[in-house]
Amino acid sequence: AMIGRAGAMAAAAAMVAVGGGDFSDLREIKKQLLSVAERSRERGLQHSGKWAAELAFALEPLPLSELPPPPVLTEEDARDLDAYTLAKSYFDLKEYDRAAYFLRGCKSQKAYFLYMYSRYLSGEKKKDDETVDSLGPLEKGQVKNEALRELRVELSKKHKAQELDGFGLYLYGVVLRKLDLVKEAIDVFVEAAHVLPLHWGAWLELCNLITDKEMLKFLSLPDTWMKEFFLAHIYTELQLIEEALQKYQSLIDAGFSKSTYIISQIAVAYHNIRDIDKALSIFNELRKQDPYRIENMDTFSNLLYVRSMKPELSYLAHNLCEIDKYRVETCCVIGNYYSLRSQHEKAALYFQRALKLNPRYLGAWTLMGHEYMEMKNTSAAIQAYRHAIEVNKRDYRAWYGLGQTYEILKMPFYCLYYYRRAHQLRPNDSRMLVALGECYEKLNQLVEAKKCYWRAYAVGDVEKMALVKLAKLHEQLNESEQAAQCYIKYIQDIYSCGEVVEHLEVSTAFRYLAQYYFKCKLWDEASACAQKCCAFNDTREEGKALLRQILQLRNQGETSSTDVAAPFFLPASLSANNTPTRRVSPLNLSSVTP
Amino acid sequence: MASVHESLYFNPMLTNGVVHANVFGVRDWVTPHKMALLVLLSELGRAGAQLGLLERRRLNRLLLPLLQGPDMALSRLRKAIEECCPHLAGSVHIRLKLMAEGELKDMEQFFDDLSDSFSGTEPEVHKTSVVGLFLRHMILAYNKLSFSQVYKLYTALQQYFQKDEKKNGADENEMELTNPEELDGKMEKEELDGPLREEEIACSGPLSQKQAEYFLSQQASLLKNDETKALAPASLQKELNNLLKFNPDFAEAHYLSYLNSLRVQDVFSSTHSLLHYFDRLILTGAESKSNGDEGYGRSLRYAALNLAALHCRFGHYQQAELALQEAIRIAQESNDHVCLQHCLSWLYILEQKIFDSCVLLEHSVNKSLHFGLPYLASLGIQSLVQQRAFAGKAANKLMDALKDSDLLHWKHSLSELIDISIAQKTAIWRLYGRSTMALQQAQTLLSMNSLEAVNVGVQQNNTESFAVVLCHLAELHAEQGYFAAASEILKHLKERFPPNSQHAQLWMLFDQKIQFERAMNDGRYHVADSLVAGITALNSIEGVYRKAIVLKAQNQMSEAHKLLQKLLIHCQKIKNTEMVISVLLSIAELYWRSSCHTIALPVLLQALALAREYSLQYLASETVLNLAFSQLILGIPEQALNILHMAIEPVLAHGAVLDKGCAMFLVAKCQVASAASYTPQKKTEALESAILNLNEAKTYFAKVDCKEQLRDVLYFQARLFHTLGKTQERNKCAMLFRQLHQELPAHGVPLINAFK
Repeated sequence: AMIGRAGAMAAAAAMVAVGGGDFSDLREIKKQLLSVAERSRERGLQHSGKWAAELAFALEPLPLSELPPPPVLTEEDARDLDAYTLAKSYFDLKEYDRAAYFLRGCKSQKAYFLYMYSRYLSGEKKKDDETVDSLGPLEKGQVKNEALRELRVELSKKHKAQELDGFGLYLYGVVLRKLDLVKEAIDVFVEAAHVLPLHWGAWLELCNLITDKEMLKFLSLPDTWMKEFFLAHIYTELQLIEEALQKYQSLIDAGFSKSTYIISQIAVAYHNIRDIDKALSIFNELRKQDPYRIENMDTFSNLLYVRSMKPELSYLAHNLCEIDKYRVETCCVIGNYYSLRSQHEKAALYFQRALKLNPRYLGAWTLMGHEYMEMKNTSAAIQAYRHAIEVNKRDYRAWYGLGQTYEILKMPFYCLYYYRRAHQLRPNDSRMLVALGECYEKLNQLVEAKKCYWRAYAVGDVEKMALVKLAKLHEQLNESEQAAQCYIKYIQDIYSCGEVVEHLEVSTAFRYLAQYYFKCKLWDEASACAQKCCAFNDTREEGKALLRQILQLRNQGETSSTDVAAPFFLPASLSANNTPTRRVSPLNLSSVTP
Repeated sequence: MASVHESLYFNPMLTNGVVHANVFGVRDWVTPHKMALLVLLSELGRAGAQLGLLERRRLNRLLLPLLQGPDMALSRLRKAIEECCPHLAGSVHIRLKLMAEGELKDMEQFFDDLSDSFSGTEPEVHKTSVVGLFLRHMILAYNKLSFSQVYKLYTALQQYFQKDEKKNGADENEMELTNPEELDGKMEKEELDGPLREEEIACSGPLSQKQAEYFLSQQASLLKNDETKALAPASLQKELNNLLKFNPDFAEAHYLSYLNSLRVQDVFSSTHSLLHYFDRLILTGAESKSNGDEGYGRSLRYAALNLAALHCRFGHYQQAELALQEAIRIAQESNDHVCLQHCLSWLYILEQKIFDSCVLLEHSVNKSLHFGLPYLASLGIQSLVQQRAFAGKAANKLMDALKDSDLLHWKHSLSELIDISIAQKTAIWRLYGRSTMALQQAQTLLSMNSLEAVNVGVQQNNTESFAVVLCHLAELHAEQGYFAAASEILKHLKERFPPNSQHAQLWMLFDQKIQFERAMNDGRYHVADSLVAGITALNSIEGVYRKAIVLKAQNQMSEAHKLLQKLLIHCQKIKNTEMVISVLLSIAELYWRSSCHTIALPVLLQALALAREYSLQYLASETVLNLAFSQLILGIPEQALNILHMAIEPVLAHGAVLDKGCAMFLVAKCQVASAASYTPQKKTEALESAILNLNEAKTYFAKVDCKEQLRDVLYFQARLFHTLGKTQERNKCAMLFRQLHQELPAHGVPLINAFK
């Protein structure tokens, strides 16, 4: 065993040669990736192998002379070779118990890992099978992987004796996590990352266990180039999108521009900050490079859905259905497709199917909730959202959905709680803030409502409605100056984006401004606004009437109003500083926020 | 003090004062523990005639908790049986052993035989009895099992049995075990068992639906009636989390978790649990077809109402009002009058925080009666009585109203409300200054057998009513100088209502008030001052008042006056008449201490008028004492003696010992003062009767340990003896006076000028 340990250490040491975000030697990196892909595959760790291989594929091919040499076999490996070969074939056929039986007593690292891993997977498989016919409803949660505790005891003994290599540590960590021993699991995964930084699985497990930025700060991670990938990934998970995008950009600059993994991650990141156009174009690019890819296509379909791109979504759905119709992502895409076609029953059916395929597939619960909402089946919607929250407490869409449900049920106070939860999870998402503001408005808590709308605008309003709502509030409260200011900002915002057509409220804004300037006797501005009013159907008549009035009054008081010469749209009092700062003070709602 | 706590107004598990557990269908399954019970039952049937009467009775008593309770380890079960009947325990063990160490067919045979107990002309078990139902449930559940499940059950049984065997073995081994290697092996085993054992202590395995329901309803009723007997908040939460892990759809557990969070004043998790509960409830409401759409809408209304209750509980009145508005709106839209009534009651409670709203309340009572909600109606009446009492309405009418609502309570067996009613009577009698009546009512409640005690076996003694009554009792005892008894009662309160529980604030306040009074009597003003902060934290008005009293005692007159004036204005605004009169009395005292008796008189008259109007008899007599004193100082002792006759009777009948002493002292002073104009012989008589009165005052003062007053009395007595020429008595009094005088610091006010 000592030799095995030493060997593993030496191999690991060789592999960490390139470290610390240093991407200068891409060939070395490629070599490492190829070798770790091979080693992962030998141990039946398909996903880590796939990840490494995908990344390796993005780099330049190596000449024959530089290909990594086949792993050196030790005496022990040789002794276990027959058993290993037999067991690996059983393992590949998913006959885990059989594989474990032939591997018992093997001492080499590789065979030992496969032995333990087979036992683990066998337990998992049996657990899944048993969930179907457990004795009673309350026992369902009780079905557990019976093998876990034994595995934990054995692995912890080996761990204490320092006989586990990187893969072994990874498995130990997985066992601990399954036993809900999160703290211990994190420690072990960090150790695994130190011993074998190239193994992506360990990093990925860490990503799932770390819930906030603070936790991340206190981890001591190995200083290798893999850390960069990890950081980028976890930033995406923790919704720190800007940081994530920065990391990914630097990875692309370092030479991973062809990696489909990175491209897909960037697309997901853009999706998360609702930069839909960018995300769409990246996804399209991704599909060109990797046309048979199914991963992340559910996100892509969400984007297509949001943009109501029916033909594209339909094409995607049919395409994926052809590739593999029994994948969670496929079901999700088809569900979205039906939802876009307003066939909500069918859509819900497909989301249900997705959940049958993978009960922990969180997105489907939320989407199903949305479908039930469309079908006006509020109780089912609440159920679906609650399930989503059960799977992941941080699912802001589910909280938001619950809020919407109760809002539909006309319970504005009740839904405040849910919107607040959603807001807490996504403090910089304007949609929650606007929703909160609307609820406060319904409750006649106008001060709070104003705060929410202003904040929504300050964090970058997606739907561009916050300012109009704020303006209307000011109007209600007879704060005409503030109202005008808001309308001005709104118009500036809309024009700077260049999409006027969709916004009906522009005419309202112009109408109000025209009236406002008229009252302030700023004739030039008033007539400019009134002219703008004439461009819209609903305000044309009013605009014309106002223009006539202005003309009349002007003729009467030509002499008196020469001294006013404020620039268009920005009366002197307002022009001082009206760009909101990105860093606004915390939203200090007077109400208690449980 | 007479207060009806708001939490009583609504509780979804509780309609008309009765806790209902959710009624589910049959959701039970066979576990090894249940099989052991089945074996026990069949052995019981077999042993039938041989068992003694006593053993049989013990076993019968054992059975019900076993059938309802959570699964337990075999060893514990065996011990429980052994305590009742050792012989039976042995045979149960042997049969289990045979089954566990035999084959699968043994178990199958066992279940086949089970159904025989129903057959025959004279079946051993009646089909609809508790045991019969259990047997039939089990047989049904067993027959529903699939092939693999049957096998799984059998292996579970084997493990269940082996674990017990191993444990026995381990116990025996422990004695001999010295070998280090074996120790190592044992360590490993322990490591393996480690996490499980922890779970075992809390809860052995998952509860079946029935067991879970039993657990929840039991804990809920304990929380309601006797919090101290329920599981500690932390461990209860752990149990609930466990339960929810196994079945997240178990909505009631969320509600209990809400109640549990309330116990520890945790806003966040209680809100979370409450909303979660209603989210889940909406589901079950939607599923059950009998309720249909109606059931679903109903839970929405109550969800909003509960949220209001929660906010109110935490003092977020604005939030509570918003939530309540929502509940009212939804209830109105769906024409749910019952819910609307609940809302109305809550509205009253919320409005009460802002202004008096008798109209609302009267309306609520009328409507509640109309819709047949006696619980709500009675609560309304009680609130109304409370408010009227404060507003100075005629006492006889109030008592009549309480009597009428009592009739209602007894008719509907609302024991909780009966308790409240008695507590309220205690408080009202106290308010009127009739301490004997209050004492009697308090004792009535304490020695009454609760109705629920008959039903559930849980003495309902953790409610606010008991806290109120006990607090009053403590104060009454302290007033009479029985400090040991008072502190005994407070100790009991502390045990019954631990410091973090809901009603703990009550006794905390009373405890400090009593301590404060004692410190004032002893003249330890710095101690009293240090208590003021604590009192203020619990009741700001009371705190300010006490602060002023301390200042007054420390001769900081202008500060005290300023404080009292402010307090007076505030109390007049919130219509706290009781406090207004007390404040007026204090102000008057400040005046006469500054020798402005003429200014004090109108203040006292105002106080007297108020006290008479609100029939606060005790405060009235105290005012009269003050008045008499002022008259004495103003030189009309005859007049003073005249009005003293009015006050002396109630004071002696109901007053605190200290007040009795003061009153007697004052009488003596007046007698002496008025004797100045008498003929010598009459004068001697008057002085002698004054000495007697002084003696009485002395005993009273001695009871509450008021040394300062004692000293004054002694001085006065010595002077009187001197006048009468009784040297020996005079010297005795003078000596006692000197002793006390050396102990106490001299205070600036001339002796004759002090009344209190």
